[in-house]
Amino acid sequence: MNLRRVTAVATKEWKETVRDRLFLLMSFLLPPLWMVVFGYGLVLDVEHVPFAVLDRDQSSLSRDYLYRFMESRYFDYRGSVYDERDIDRLLGDTAIRMAIVVPERFAEQLMAGSSVTVQTLLDGTFPLHADTLKGYVIAINRAFTQELLTDFLARTRGLVPEEARRFVEPVSLETRYLYNQEVRSTWSMVPALIMFALMVASPLLTALGVVREKETGSIYNIYSATVSKTEFLIGKLVPYFVISMVNVAVLWAIAVWFFGVPFKGSFTAFFLASLLFILCSTGIGLLISLLVRTQMAALIITIIIAMVPTILFSGLLVPVSSLSLGAQVQAHLFPAMYYTDVVRGSFLKGLGLETMWTDLFALAGFAVGLRLVAYGLFTKRPKA
Amino acid sequence: MNRNDGSSIEAVRLWVLRLFVMTRKELLQLGRDVPLLLFLLYSFSLSVYISGAGIAMQLNNASLLVHDGDHSESSRELIHRFHEPYFRFDGEVGDPKEGLTRLDQGTAMVLLDIPPRFRESIQGKEPVTVQLQVDTTNAPQGLSAAAYAARIVGGFSFDLALSRLGAALGDDMRMPVVDSAHRVWFNQDQDETWFQSISHILRMITLFAFLLPAAALVREKEHGTVEQLLVSPVTPLQIMLSKVLAMTLVILAATALATATVLKPVFGVPIKGSAPLFFLLTAFYSFTVAGLGLFAATVTKNQAQVGMVALLVISPMLLLSGITTPFEAMPPWVQTLMALSPLRYYIDITYGILLKGSGLELLWDSILAMVLLGGTLFGLGLWRFRRQFQ
Amino acid sequence: MQQYDRPSIRSVLSPQPSDTIVNVSGFVKRYKKDVAVDGVDLEIRKGEIYGLIGPDGSGKSSLMKAIVGVLTYEGGSIDVFGTRVDSERAAEQIKPKIGFLPQGLGLNLYPELSVEENIDFFAHLRLVPDEDLAERKARLLAMTRLERFRDRPMKNLSGGMKQKLGLICALIHEPDLAVLDEPTTGVDPVSRRDFWSILAELLEEKGMTALISTAYMDEAERFHRLSFFSGGKVLASGVPAEIRALVPGSIVTCEAHPQLTAIARLKTRFRQVESLGSLLRVFIDTTDESEAQSQIEALLGDLIPSSFRVEEAGLEDVFVALRLQKSESKEVSDVIADSATVHDRDGLAIEAEGLIRDFGSFRAVDHVSFRVKQGEVFGLLGANGAGKTTLIKMLNGILSPTGGAGLVAGVDMRMATGSIKERIGYMSQAFSLYLDLTVEENIRLFAGIYGLDKRSMSQRFEWIVTMAGLSGYESSLTDSLPMGVRQRLALGCALVHSPRVLFLDEPTSGVDPIGRRHFWEILTRLAREGNVAILITTHYMSEAEHCDNLALMYAGRIVAEGSPEAMKRQVEEVGGRLVEVVVDQPRRALMHLLQAGFHGTALFGTTLHVFCRDPLRDKARACEGLEGRGVRVISVKERPLSLEDVFVYRVMALERAEPSTKQEAAA
Repeated sequence: MNLRRVTAVATKEWKETVRDRLFLLMSFLLPPLWMVVFGYGLVLDVEHVPFAVLDRDQSSLSRDYLYRFMESRYFDYRGSVYDERDIDRLLGDTAIRMAIVVPERFAEQLMAGSSVTVQTLLDGTFPLHADTLKGYVIAINRAFTQELLTDFLARTRGLVPEEARRFVEPVSLETRYLYNQEVRSTWSMVPALIMFALMVASPLLTALGVVREKETGSIYNIYSATVSKTEFLIGKLVPYFVISMVNVAVLWAIAVWFFGVPFKGSFTAFFLASLLFILCSTGIGLLISLLVRTQMAALIITIIIAMVPTILFSGLLVPVSSLSLGAQVQAHLFPAMYYTDVVRGSFLKGLGLETMWTDLFALAGFAVGLRLVAYGLFTKRPKA
Repeated sequence: MNRNDGSSIEAVRLWVLRLFVMTRKELLQLGRDVPLLLFLLYSFSLSVYISGAGIAMQLNNASLLVHDGDHSESSRELIHRFHEPYFRFDGEVGDPKEGLTRLDQGTAMVLLDIPPRFRESIQGKEPVTVQLQVDTTNAPQGLSAAAYAARIVGGFSFDLALSRLGAALGDDMRMPVVDSAHRVWFNQDQDETWFQSISHILRMITLFAFLLPAAALVREKEHGTVEQLLVSPVTPLQIMLSKVLAMTLVILAATALATATVLKPVFGVPIKGSAPLFFLLTAFYSFTVAGLGLFAATVTKNQAQVGMVALLVISPMLLLSGITTPFEAMPPWVQTLMALSPLRYYIDITYGILLKGSGLELLWDSILAMVLLGGTLFGLGLWRFRRQFQ
Repeated sequence: MQQYDRPSIRSVLSPQPSDTIVNVSGFVKRYKKDVAVDGVDLEIRKGEIYGLIGPDGSGKSSLMKAIVGVLTYEGGSIDVFGTRVDSERAAEQIKPKIGFLPQGLGLNLYPELSVEENIDFFAHLRLVPDEDLAERKARLLAMTRLERFRDRPMKNLSGGMKQKLGLICALIHEPDLAVLDEPTTGVDPVSRRDFWSILAELLEEKGMTALISTAYMDEAERFHRLSFFSGGKVLASGVPAEIRALVPGSIVTCEAHPQLTAIARLKTRFRQVESLGSLLRVFIDTTDESEAQSQIEALLGDLIPSSFRVEEAGLEDVFVALRLQKSESKEVSDVIADSATVHDRDGLAIEAEGLIRDFGSFRAVDHVSFRVKQGEVFGLLGANGAGKTTLIKMLNGILSPTGGAGLVAGVDMRMATGSIKERIGYMSQAFSLYLDLTVEENIRLFAGIYGLDKRSMSQRFEWIVTMAGLSGYESSLTDSLPMGVRQRLALGCALVHSPRVLFLDEPTSGVDPIGRRHFWEILTRLAREGNVAILITTHYMSEAEHCDNLALMYAGRIVAEGSPEAMKRQVEEVGGRLVEVVVDQPRRALMHLLQAGFHGTALFGTTLHVFCRDPLRDKARACEGLEGRGVRVISVKERPLSLEDVFVYRVMALERAEPSTKQEAAA
């Protein structure tokens, strides 16, 4: 290892990067842009679900019942229909995701003290939707029933409303939301977006590095020089590492000062993890760069490899624990998951090294492993 | 007159021939890039399987810890109601603090705390409150867990109330209750593999349809081969169209592969609508996205730049168009912005055809929007490409 | 001045065997199944310039890469500085002492970095101490006259400047062994001389050893020893004189009419017959002048030759003769195909009217006007960066002119429709075919683009393969082809549709002598028989002799034009008669003659070409001066001008007149 040679490679790489204005601009612009756009725009809650009603009863009670759906922020009322076939059409056209059918004699039966079944028709193409919607509907039905019952008991048994309510709801649930008391989507999304930005942009920065030199032929300068493989690989990395670290700092600042996400944890752990994670993500780019022959292949493979597992298996949207076994294996084979843990842990939970050392350890393992494979794949004396 | 006809037929023949040889060239070049080809194959087969089988956006196996301060039959009954697939019982803790530590570490997501004298209170007709602590670092999932828990506890409470009422009023006494009956359409079993595998294919189509032609065009610029073409009778339209055609063919083949090897046989996705229509519209979609990619290629000089522009354009498309998250919930400005995303329309088209069996009569508006968008993008790209060499 | 006292030709000295720096024995290199090099032995001794010469794809580059340790090999052994280069580890040991310049003009440099940054990168990579670097950099930049461009990005340098920069970068750490792969390919004659004198000075000064390959045979005379490569084997090795002695012979030039009949008659006996304008050039396997003359006269019969002249054969002729001895020559097919159908015979094919092109504040092409008729071969000469490529790009519609008009067949190519584009063929300077397609696929692609039907496509395919000598390469990936073969393929693709107008931008860069001769035979016939108009640029002045008309560009302007003969006459009128002086210390002699006021003096291989207004007086003056400085004059004789003399004289005169302009133009 000779520091001067590393510096030489790094300086050259840095100058080349800096002179590619558009590239440079994008590499600093994209991560904050993503954070702002996705921080505000990527809403995972099932809300504003468009629905239609078919009210066969047309009583004031049925209207009172349906009003609860229309009022809810979870639903978005799109109108009434008078024929079940219209529902088919609207669902098929994705104009609505749900329809509620209130049966005839709805008010009459309930007033008579008998039970009534309200049918909901759900669009099952998004199973997550359908399931969540079911929950909402059940909750609204239950609340409505409780009111009816309270009223009924007061009417038939002469209980005071307060007493009746207690009778109707013997066990209640008190939920405390930890780490994110107001359950803001942005709070959970924004820290994870640091992971997203680093995982998606950093590999691309490095991916073309070695293939480009192979394509133009300047790689022979390296082959024929005394610079060692390690020095070359490190030198190549430095500029992208620096860009990524700057991005971490910028993203951290945006998260804390712009989105107001609390940073409760330890800076050391966060910094260390970010450092290791950048080594991982740039390592992935480097590895691809060594495996393929053309810049085109490097570009496409890197973008897809960086993007797809990051969306699916990193814990950004879906917690790794709820993946199937096979997908969990894949998630564990991908460094993003560990970093997501650390980022969320540092921001929202206030955890430190003592609880997150396993994640850091895994990241370190990936960083070293990827480098070792790259070292093995790179030869200064190729076959052709 | 005849000669005129002859020469115009000849001109058309030449035009088609040129397009054909250029398209074949693109395919040959792609065929030479073995790593890329292998990756394409993986993306449309194994990768579809893994995502389809592995990902559940629904609350799935949320790790549950219980602090049972009562240890009675009632408390056990309540705990018993927290079951799979939503919750996975991960053990009991003696002290709520111990549970909180586990939540901190992220090894558990939900802590259910049942107070002492739970059964006693119920029997004494005293209202009782059960506590739930939820990790909301992942807000939607936390909310989801809380909602399920509320549903379970509510059900427990409701059943208790009904049985008590029944006991008090006698069996003949009827009660006013609104029951829910659900009918789930298009995917009765709410099989999430259908949704995930299809959305994965959409994701892959989008990525490849954008990147393949964009990278190919930038490569022509980088290597100077585009000059050789511009001097020949090949028109810019043919240069661009041939790339789009070639990549569309590749994507159609890959989509067919994914459908034939994973979607149908493994996950049993029903293709309710017309398969030819689906492939036709997939071709339109590839064309549209390819137009976008080519446009990106005309504003960039090298692969690194086109990669960055791709990230700029594709990541919002993938995350905000509604294949990962429900579109309706997006803030209005995102919805407006995403009107420009062809993926937004293609999602409706795909699910419409594959799962709902919709046909042109229902999908025409999405199709129209997509085609208009595609035509505009391709036209813009062509315009830029032409201008670049003027 | 100490360094000049050592004789620069040391081929006569035989260094001690202990001085062996590189020893190659039984070297074999295979790429998958293809054998690139098949059993080569080679020994390079300390302090010598060792040359590798051979056709494209003969394995020179593979051998050079293997020697510097950046390529594995399958058989034999390579020892460099006593280390057996057989593993990555062993290769690392020799690398500190080696400087390597790979093939391709400036391809190993970093386009975005400035001249100085490129040098610094190489120096830092080689751990050159800062003070040494500053000193060497200053000296090398001065020597290469690049100091004014320290801060210019490498991508804005001309080809010649790039190559000089490449040389500086390869030698900045003062290696013991410099390995340079075709360092002068694509570089104009003046820059090439520059390059060689810099190289020679550096090597001598530092006692470096060099292994150099080249496609220019005149450069081969500068090697102390050399090896002829062919088909992955060494045909011959030795000092240039030894090589020349392998095929004793001489070159006869004469005029005879009608030329075509004369050629046909001569070809019955001799295999190397060329036409240079009105002259015939024949290689005869005898060194005896009268013998040669009688042989020629006998063959020509009733065609009486005039301006008869016999010269010593150059290495290029020997090389061709050697190749022809060893292998059956591939005769060029007679098919010139349908281009022979004559259209607009006397039509104006290309017309430039006051063309101007600016890049920012820099004017690359400055009021250029000329005309090319159908059936005419028009050569565009000029130093790298004189504006030739820009001019061609404007004519064929890739670039739009800032002013003036460029017309092809009376049409502005930028407005041209498909049918006009079908009539032109273009071969760009930078290789611009698809590297990931095979030879056949490339040809078929362009055949399709130009709308050839199946039958004419296969005919054309055969023709191109034969014409360009591509048989055996049909299904090879273009990427794997040597540079010269790629160039021939590119020409084939440019000709696929039998164009009426051809634009060829340095089509023969990096192509070996035999390939170039074939190439020109084809071009001449296309023009003569097919009536095709050809606009061509080249850095091989011997090729320029084939052109009907020439224009010499300098700093974006045309500074001289006319037929080759006219161009020579013009120079003779200005500069005087040309005298060839052979001495034992050519570089020292050159310095002296330039100081003594012989401004047109230039080095050709190892001989000096001196322009004399008054030959008798000047000869004596020159000889006296040289002898007085300890230079032994071996021979002095007058000789006719070549176009290379014209080029060097013109460009050097212009550079002297305005030393800064050329450099500006080079951007």
